[in-house]
Amino acid sequence: MKYSYILFSALILIIIHAGCKRQFEPPALKVDYNYLVVDGVMVNSIDSPTTIQLSRTRKLSDTVLNSPERNAIVIIEGSNGENFQLNESAPGNYFINHLSLNTSSTYRLKITTASGGQYLSDFVEVKTTPAIDSLNYKQPDDLTIYVNTHDPANNTRYYRWDYVETSQYHAEGNSEIGVNNGIMYFRDSTNQIYNCWHITNSNDIITGSTTALTEDVISQFPIITIPQNSEKIGVRYGIQVKQYAITQAAYLYFQILKKNTEQQGSIFDVQPSQLTGNIHSVNNRDEIVIGFITACNVQQQKLFIKNDELTNWQRLVLTGFCDKIVLSLNPSNYLIYSYPDPDYTPWYFVTGGLVVTKKPCVDCRLQGGTNIKPSYW
Amino acid sequence: MRCIGRSVVCVCCLLYVYSANGQQHNVNGDFSNTKFPEFVKNVENGNSWHFYYDEAALDSFIINTKIVDKPLAEALNQIFNNTSFHYSLDGSGNVFITKNSILQTTLADDFFDPGEKIISKEPDVVQDQNGTKEKTRPIFTENKLFEIGLKSSVKKNNVILTGFVKDIKNGEALPGASIYIDSAYTGLVTDQFGYYSLTIQPGNHILEITSLGMKETRRRLLVYGDGKLNIEMQDDIPTLKNVIVTSERRSNVRSTQMGIDRLSIKTIKEVPVVFGESDILRVVLTLPGVTSVGEASTGFNVRGGSADQNLILFDDATIYNPSHLFGFFSAFNSDVVKGVELYKSVVPVKYGGRLSSVLDVSTKDGNDKKLSGSGGIGLLTSKFTIEGPLKKDKTSFILGGRTTYSNWLLKTVPNSAYSNSKASFYDLNIHISHTINSKNNLYLTGYLSNDNFRFNKDTTYKYGNKNIIIKWKHIFNNKFFTLISAGIDNYQYNVTSNSNPVNSYKLTYDINQNNFKADFTYKPDNRQSFSFGLNSIYYKLSPGSFLPYGSQSLVSPDILQAEQGLENAAYLGYQYNLTSNLSLNAGLRYSMFNYLGAHDTYSYLKGIPKEMSTITDTSSYGPGKVIKTYQGPEYRVSLRYALPGDASVKIGYNTLRQYIHQLSNTVSISPVDIWKLSDRNIKPQTGQQISIGFYKNFNSNNIETSLELYYKEFKNIIDYKSGASLLLNHHIETDIINTKGKAYGIEFLIKKLTGKLNGWLSYTYSRTLLKQDDALAGESINNGNYYPASYDKPHNVNFISNYKFSHRLSLSLNVVYSTGRPITLPIAIFNSNGSQRVLYSDRNEFRIPDYFRSDVSINLDGNHKVKQVLHNSWSLGIYNLSARENAYSVYFVQENGLIKGYQLSIFGTIIPYLTYNFRF
Repeated sequence: MKYSYILFSALILIIIHAGCKRQFEPPALKVDYNYLVVDGVMVNSIDSPTTIQLSRTRKLSDTVLNSPERNAIVIIEGSNGENFQLNESAPGNYFINHLSLNTSSTYRLKITTASGGQYLSDFVEVKTTPAIDSLNYKQPDDLTIYVNTHDPANNTRYYRWDYVETSQYHAEGNSEIGVNNGIMYFRDSTNQIYNCWHITNSNDIITGSTTALTEDVISQFPIITIPQNSEKIGVRYGIQVKQYAITQAAYLYFQILKKNTEQQGSIFDVQPSQLTGNIHSVNNRDEIVIGFITACNVQQQKLFIKNDELTNWQRLVLTGFCDKIVLSLNPSNYLIYSYPDPDYTPWYFVTGGLVVTKKPCVDCRLQGGTNIKPSYW
Repeated sequence: MRCIGRSVVCVCCLLYVYSANGQQHNVNGDFSNTKFPEFVKNVENGNSWHFYYDEAALDSFIINTKIVDKPLAEALNQIFNNTSFHYSLDGSGNVFITKNSILQTTLADDFFDPGEKIISKEPDVVQDQNGTKEKTRPIFTENKLFEIGLKSSVKKNNVILTGFVKDIKNGEALPGASIYIDSAYTGLVTDQFGYYSLTIQPGNHILEITSLGMKETRRRLLVYGDGKLNIEMQDDIPTLKNVIVTSERRSNVRSTQMGIDRLSIKTIKEVPVVFGESDILRVVLTLPGVTSVGEASTGFNVRGGSADQNLILFDDATIYNPSHLFGFFSAFNSDVVKGVELYKSVVPVKYGGRLSSVLDVSTKDGNDKKLSGSGGIGLLTSKFTIEGPLKKDKTSFILGGRTTYSNWLLKTVPNSAYSNSKASFYDLNIHISHTINSKNNLYLTGYLSNDNFRFNKDTTYKYGNKNIIIKWKHIFNNKFFTLISAGIDNYQYNVTSNSNPVNSYKLTYDINQNNFKADFTYKPDNRQSFSFGLNSIYYKLSPGSFLPYGSQSLVSPDILQAEQGLENAAYLGYQYNLTSNLSLNAGLRYSMFNYLGAHDTYSYLKGIPKEMSTITDTSSYGPGKVIKTYQGPEYRVSLRYALPGDASVKIGYNTLRQYIHQLSNTVSISPVDIWKLSDRNIKPQTGQQISIGFYKNFNSNNIETSLELYYKEFKNIIDYKSGASLLLNHHIETDIINTKGKAYGIEFLIKKLTGKLNGWLSYTYSRTLLKQDDALAGESINNGNYYPASYDKPHNVNFISNYKFSHRLSLSLNVVYSTGRPITLPIAIFNSNGSQRVLYSDRNEFRIPDYFRSDVSINLDGNHKVKQVLHNSWSLGIYNLSARENAYSVYFVQENGLIKGYQLSIFGTIIPYLTYNFRF
């Protein structure tokens, strides 16, 4: 025991990298699978058009934002023999107005691509969407918008919503002067650039179900939460919520699509699930086609919120950093505009001169919105 | 025994020797029922013959012959005809009777060369028979004839022989030692206390005893009646040969068990491992049929089972987390471990509760003769063990401890979050064995492990096992004995975070189980044996509490309800040797699980996926109320048929049930994974396996080969819905889906046990396929087709070797290859519902790159003088010799709008190490 004091003098210096990270590019990632993606709803409404978007999947390393599938023939076929052809209104967008489907029949989508590929969806029933009872909002700090609906027939059970948000804002300064071919003119309400509207479509997948309830009632279902003081409600805000009745299979499809997207970019631990749609290739049953087509009428309702209705919500923040340059005017024709810097535009007249400023200061369109007042505003 | 003066060894001293010729009188007489000594007396009388023979060997040799005037040589020919005895005569009238070989009465040519000792100096051996002790040399112990029972009252029927097999050096019991009778294909294995009970016919027998790391030995018996024979075996160390597993040399061929791997601690210590710390679980991973998801994960997968399907027992105490430092080290101190047994096929009927395997780690008994100890110093860990008698030959203890100083390693990591981190762990073991009397023994084992990891100055992970178990072995009589044990097992973890006083929290989890076991063995005769008993486990789980930490914390407390469960099982096993070639082992285990209150449970709508929105009702149950009961039988059957030439074929079938499940949706087990009992919504896992094996030994059992095939099916395996959250989930059943699976494989093993080069080479081809087609899951995986499990690695090659240059210097080399683990890859992006989305491949469609690693180590022992105070040994090694960057995990991140993949390797470089070990 007396020897249990041990001399241990060997010191070895080792440099260990406890973890080594290296780029990993398996060959599977370099393959362009180019699968067909079908997105849209067969809308059985006189007042709402039907748009089916066709595109192709892209490689993970692709930088393009979309690769539309152009020049396809898209037909909605009814089991009762009806046929509706859709026309390509924009690249990859196939459009038909005033689709009127028979709720006692079933319908499917038939796609023939320019390269000759044939795709068919399963026949789907035309669901009847009950009306939205109400939209409302609540705001302790952040603001949440809720939807309420019910189906007296207890028949809908699965719901999907999307929405269009419209958000009014204005430029830093109100310029009533426009320039056309070097000549200034006065703007009116048809071409004003002070008030603009951002119109954005939802990019969330929002689904709900009432299967656990004895009655088919959706009560205070949250559609969107807007963080406190968001510029979205800097002036006035409007939301148009569209409600679709879907089948159970579609509900499950959208759940998976949602979950798979949420985990994108996290550490690859949690297993993603398989996305099984209802569209198939006629020529090759094993070919993957992404998309789940449903058919129903759409119900919609709008809700408008003014900034001053809210508590503790600041109005649109103006930076106040607009520089002003005063130009002296040509006395013979003061409407001639000849300032050489194209980034500048007229703002207002002062005695004997014109104040010009950088375009974004007075042109709200340069922040991405449109200056055309929506019809519902 | 009395040492006979006329020993054969004396012959070596004779100088002038002639071959015999008949100068003497001839032999005459009618020898009927005459014992050999009487014959000798008769012949020596009136002659100048002088007989030299081993009295023990020949005193029961009966002569029944008539000799009419024959020269002695002819007479002896007649007597020893068809026996194993031989005789030699020299010119001086000396007669030497030997067994098996003929004594050379002429000297070898080099006899007069100097320096060679002829008489071997074997250490003395103590042989304990019927309570009396005699000192003798092992060669005589082996040759001596032990008389069992009283000669005066010979039993006609079978008699029972019992006793203990022990290590001669320190009196430690030798479990798993094999005892074979008369070289027949029958035998048995000692139980965990080295106890055996043998039923044999009266008469002459030879027992052959083999055990792990011990010298093979034998006992010659003349059995008259019931009796006791304790057998002491010699350690194999002095010769430094046969270091790897001389045990079970034939038992793999002969035993009825199949799919069992035994490892001695010596084997484990020779295998080079990362940082030089002998690691039981890493060596287990080199066995055929065992895989893991990657390095730095202590969870392992046996024959396609998930990591929570292994019952890890440390001296019969259940260890829930067998790892330290997030899997870098296993939680077992190799200095207190005697050996490891892994049951991967037909699990003995006394075990149950897990679906895939039983890993039985047994502790050493303390040295009951003198105080001794051992220790080791490595780059990251140190350990020290002391053992000795509390009361000589009655009570002994062993106490071991281990700790780490791995902080310096973290400092070298160039990431400040790691270099500001601190890691520490320790484990403590105590084992006390006490002999009350020859019929009663008591054993106490305690185990404590603790890990403390502080990440980046603010988040601390602590976790640990606590186990205590007491066992009582009682021998009713020679045919009937019992082992009764009771114990408490605990595993807990907590995570505290105080990075921000407002958000500081403490998360705790723990699992407690109280065990009671009663195992009985009854052996009416040597052809059959019964085992039966009861197991009972009471579980109490605290599945998680999330509490504010510190006075400023605003965290709102969230405490999950405690879970209680009671698992009871009764079993009956029967082993029967139908013929000398065919034996049967059959067992039935019936288990029952009650999920108990107090608990509130949810009911869900039937026929559609369980979700928050489909909860219909909440039911409250009071304390002790049975909420749900599951029960069912488990079958364990195996058959062994012996083939000529050290070969056999075995076939086995078993079923198992599991009522406690580990929830983990990360790639490898992490210490903060939780365990969950089966409840109203989560069914028990069940599985069945059929296997067939061929075993053949070559080169007088020095080379073992085996080929095993298996096919397995399991049901109600737990898988998770996408984005499942497992922690602090009040309705975990909504995130769980049931999966079924099948696994099949072929395992080939060749093992060389002795010689300068020893080790093993194994190749396994195996597949593990899962299938999730439960319509109620709400989502299917790969269209409900079979898909590979995340630990499905079809090809596995392990080469473990040790070459001894001398008794002090040896070189070990490992080579490990396996197919890469399957993964699911994002393969494309697309636009849908207003957003860019990712398309994933089929589940586990792709694989990470193959795994390859080689390690080498040099082991240098100090000199082997018996009398020195400290015996030293050094081990210098290199882990991952080829510096291959083996991928551990693959992950994807979005960088500048692009999705990029990265692979992470744990030990992506050469890691040298040096450890120093000592014992005294």
